[in-house]
Amino acid sequence: MGPSNALPPEAPRPPADLNPRTDPPLDFRDKPLAEMTPGDWDALGFMCGLEVHQQLRTRTKLFCRCPAGVYVDHHDAEVLRHMRPTLSELGEYDGCALMEFKTRKEIIYLLERETVCTYEMDDTPPFEIDREAVEIAYLVAAMFRLQLVPELHVMRKQYLDGSIPTGFQRTAMVGLSGEIPFRDPTLGIDRPLRIRQLSLEEDSCREVSDVGHRIVFRTDRLGMPLIETVTEPELVTPWEVRQAGRLLARVARATGRVRRGPGAARQDVNVSVAGGRRVEIKGVDNHRRLPQLVHTEAFRQLNLLRLRAEMQARGLTRDVFAIPTDGPAWEVSPLVIDATSALRRSVYEPVRRALEQDHTIVAVLLRGCAGLLSRPTQPGISFAHELQGRVRVIACLTGHPFMIHSDVADYGLAAARWRHLRSALRAGRDDAIVVLWGPARDVSTAAREVLARMAEALDGVPAETRQAFADGTNGFERILPGPDRMYPDTDTPPLAVPPELLPDPRALPEAPWERERRWIDAGLDPLVAARLAASDWADLFDALAPRRPETARRLAAALEKRVPYWRRRGALGRYELPAADRLAPLVAALDAGTLRPDAFEALADRAVLDPDADPAALAVPPEPAPEIATEISRAIRTVIELAPRRKRRDREALARWALGIAMRRLRGLADPRDVAARIAAGLAGEA
Amino acid sequence: MGRDDYKGYRDPCLALMKRHGVRVWSEVIARTTGGTFEGLILPRSETADAQHIALKLSSGYNIGLRADTIVELVETGWREAVYRIPEKEFPRDPAKPRVKLFGTGGTIASRLDYRTGAVIPAFSPGELYGSVPELADICNLDTEKLFGVFSENMGPEQYIELAQAVGQAIRDGYDGIVIGHGTDTMHHTAAALSFMVRRPPVPIVMVGSQRSSDRPSSDAAQNLISAAWAAAHGEIAEVLVCMFGPTSDRYNLLHRGTRVRKMHSSYRSTFRTLGDVPLAMVERGAITPIKRDFARRRDDREVEIAAVFDERVTILYYYPNMQPDIIDALVERGYRGIVIAGTGLGHVNRKVYPALERAREAGVQCYMTLQTLWGYVQMYVYETGREILELGVVPLANMLPEVAYVKLGWALGMHPDDPDAVRALMTTSIAGEMTEREPHDGYLVFQGGVPELDALLRHLWK
Repeated sequence: MGPSNALPPEAPRPPADLNPRTDPPLDFRDKPLAEMTPGDWDALGFMCGLEVHQQLRTRTKLFCRCPAGVYVDHHDAEVLRHMRPTLSELGEYDGCALMEFKTRKEIIYLLERETVCTYEMDDTPPFEIDREAVEIAYLVAAMFRLQLVPELHVMRKQYLDGSIPTGFQRTAMVGLSGEIPFRDPTLGIDRPLRIRQLSLEEDSCREVSDVGHRIVFRTDRLGMPLIETVTEPELVTPWEVRQAGRLLARVARATGRVRRGPGAARQDVNVSVAGGRRVEIKGVDNHRRLPQLVHTEAFRQLNLLRLRAEMQARGLTRDVFAIPTDGPAWEVSPLVIDATSALRRSVYEPVRRALEQDHTIVAVLLRGCAGLLSRPTQPGISFAHELQGRVRVIACLTGHPFMIHSDVADYGLAAARWRHLRSALRAGRDDAIVVLWGPARDVSTAAREVLARMAEALDGVPAETRQAFADGTNGFERILPGPDRMYPDTDTPPLAVPPELLPDPRALPEAPWERERRWIDAGLDPLVAARLAASDWADLFDALAPRRPETARRLAAALEKRVPYWRRRGALGRYELPAADRLAPLVAALDAGTLRPDAFEALADRAVLDPDADPAALAVPPEPAPEIATEISRAIRTVIELAPRRKRRDREALARWALGIAMRRLRGLADPRDVAARIAAGLAGEA
Repeated sequence: MGRDDYKGYRDPCLALMKRHGVRVWSEVIARTTGGTFEGLILPRSETADAQHIALKLSSGYNIGLRADTIVELVETGWREAVYRIPEKEFPRDPAKPRVKLFGTGGTIASRLDYRTGAVIPAFSPGELYGSVPELADICNLDTEKLFGVFSENMGPEQYIELAQAVGQAIRDGYDGIVIGHGTDTMHHTAAALSFMVRRPPVPIVMVGSQRSSDRPSSDAAQNLISAAWAAAHGEIAEVLVCMFGPTSDRYNLLHRGTRVRKMHSSYRSTFRTLGDVPLAMVERGAITPIKRDFARRRDDREVEIAAVFDERVTILYYYPNMQPDIIDALVERGYRGIVIAGTGLGHVNRKVYPALERAREAGVQCYMTLQTLWGYVQMYVYETGREILELGVVPLANMLPEVAYVKLGWALGMHPDDPDAVRALMTTSIAGEMTEREPHDGYLVFQGGVPELDALLRHLWK
């Protein structure tokens, strides 16, 4: 396409990432996750959508023929690259691009011969898109009941953080606007879950380290095919978020053609509250972590909105933080001073280390901001953390710490030195001071970034991509990229998807909700069916194929109890399941009525825990069958003989004991209630 | 409605669009048998099939809808296409050298229009300043677009025009010249200029990119910055190729125009000096010489432009069992010069001897170069070689086959009626195209997987 095709600039669009409600509930009382009710979430205006990334199980990567799914921990070569933002037609960098450029990062890629070729290094154009991946992506899209895209167009989505050596991710739209049943009896959810889109794209590098101006990536994962499924932002409680994440994963897994295991599925969550703005939290690999994570983020946004209200009440405006864009910060603005010589004799260890390294120390004046930096944003984290996150990522400061501030009394520096800085900056009682140290050029960027972030605080919630931490909190990763960062990949022609790659709509794999329906029809209680669907032994249940409703109920209940027990006992690995043929004879015997239901769990235990036990033999009653009356009287005799040695000798205890002994031999032959009654009668007779 | 209203569309899509009253750049709701889609109709690439309409969605993704599934297209808006490119004035500094940048086609720098996906070339100093602002720290830049052809379509006509333009720029007093060029045939053009621009007083630096400038990982900016440094501040007044040294973003190499060759279809570090070491490294403005014997920058403006070329020359890539009729055909078709890329030390099979003899009798000049690329033609070692020499085939030492082709065309142009003068010119090195000696590190094709090289690569940024 030539220049004549360019469009005129549009009028600025209303930011699509603002929460539709503009009234933040500033007076809402903060509560822990467990105490929050659906009404509370509604009051917060909580809104959330999911982007689920799921790797596909293909032989090769998406655009080259390197093996997919091979991870290595060594490398045999390194490449050094930089990313340079490309300008839009307005001659401006988009926010994200600008930020990455400010960081001036050296990006190192670690290469390993068996897992990457010159394609991943960005030294060879893409090969033809992997047909297997296209086929699986369309299959999953059909499962999500999406409208399938007839002709695939590969696009480039810009990423300047270095996670993809080309500077963009190749991605193609596969399906649009669909919905699936979203049902959870325990949460009272029963409505459709709307899916916005599903795209097929290449996976990025794995980050090895990111310190200062150098970020290191491993390239083995780069280029693996994955699908990104995006829901509409209609999840209104953290629990819905978790359940929706699980449902999406289950649908993809129902095809049997997606990857499992650590890192194979990762979600990004988009969260906002009333008055806030969409913030993307990246790379959550565990559904269990989702509720706490979004809860913390919801309150972080509310706290930022409270901060904004406070700043407005103090009459602060953006001008207060304005600084000219060129030149060292301390030379062009009275808000920043070079405090290196003033702190020359400081005994504060981090400052001393900075001085030894010839670093520059600056003090930044935040007019009217006293007390704001220590206001809480997340559990155990104050607003100063927001400044720190920006400075660490954008200015690449690496000290531990590299920043202190005046909201904490006598933080790091002696009171006299703080007084000195105050007077040098002409700071009053209402003002706050931030002190930063690092290489001169970086510390100038850092001072500007602190002022920029303070100015953004007046907008409330900045549009950011944040990373999830294990403790449920999150930290700044980068500015949220704008939507206009997509352009066609000129290296790949459009692909009219051939019919043989499209799924047969009549022969789709069974969807999770269809499966639940089938189980309910087979005799399971709807709640049990829902729990089974959520379990990881659902496939085992189907493999064992119970035929009668009683068998199905008995099996579902047994698996729910015994699988975690077998794992605790160490007979199975943490995610392992018993082989179906260990249990199949027992299930068949239940169905045939030759095994008493109450015997099932104990025999299943033996089948799983004792590798030498023959499951087929377990399913057959012992020959000759023990005489019930004989076994009962033997059990009664045993307990009476041994009773004097026992602490508890009351009849109930003895009866339970005798029952245990008798049932060991009679399990599956006699009804335990009947045996218990006969033992009770027998003991009474002995008395 | 204009010609571009249906840009790239053919029937059945064309008829469909006309029937529903929509055009390129219409915002539409498309009802299809597979669902309803909303987006902006994009122009269709000429090489794409005729069965699909391309739509840009609001998410930025493009998709294609199959014409035979479309039930209805409803236009909801239209956005007129207007070309606009911002210019920032290139800052001038009288203290800095003046550099002339010639464009030959392709893009040196560009901007991206995200909404349409169009890559807009940036070429004027103002446009270039917008995308590579570092240039203003190096020189005062003037630009001139000579032609807009792809690298593979460059030929004698362009060599001649380019050589003349370079001569003019030198006489106009520029301190250096940069030539933006597609990479595929950059070394052919570099060779042509090396012969046509005799004793230039300033650097003439050819530059291109292996990854287009619209991508964040492009090598274009570093190449352009390094080339501008070499042209504005470098001491080497020769025709040079300035491209990536390693594939990492580290330094550029300055290659002599007659010893350089593109050696990989897509690697960034594709240009290599063959049979010698490069002239210099360029890294963040520092130009570090590697070789000492090069023509130095001069203050005078004296340059001889010998812009001639006889197109009736060819390269014959020899293969076993080559038949003589190939050579006979060339002679019959009126070719006046043949550069053979022979095997080993410069050999062809006995079968073609009679044809070579007929060529000599017809006055067609034949020269021997090597398909091994490295090493010298040495036709005395084996009997075969001596026989071929007797047939009038002239060995060209270690001249690269493509360089020999360009030189022969030029030499025949210089002396159209004097075969002996052509032979004399061909066998004299005038721009470093033949060297007297090959240093041991003039040939470095390492073999991957070998333990000692693995050990080296681990400590090296490729």
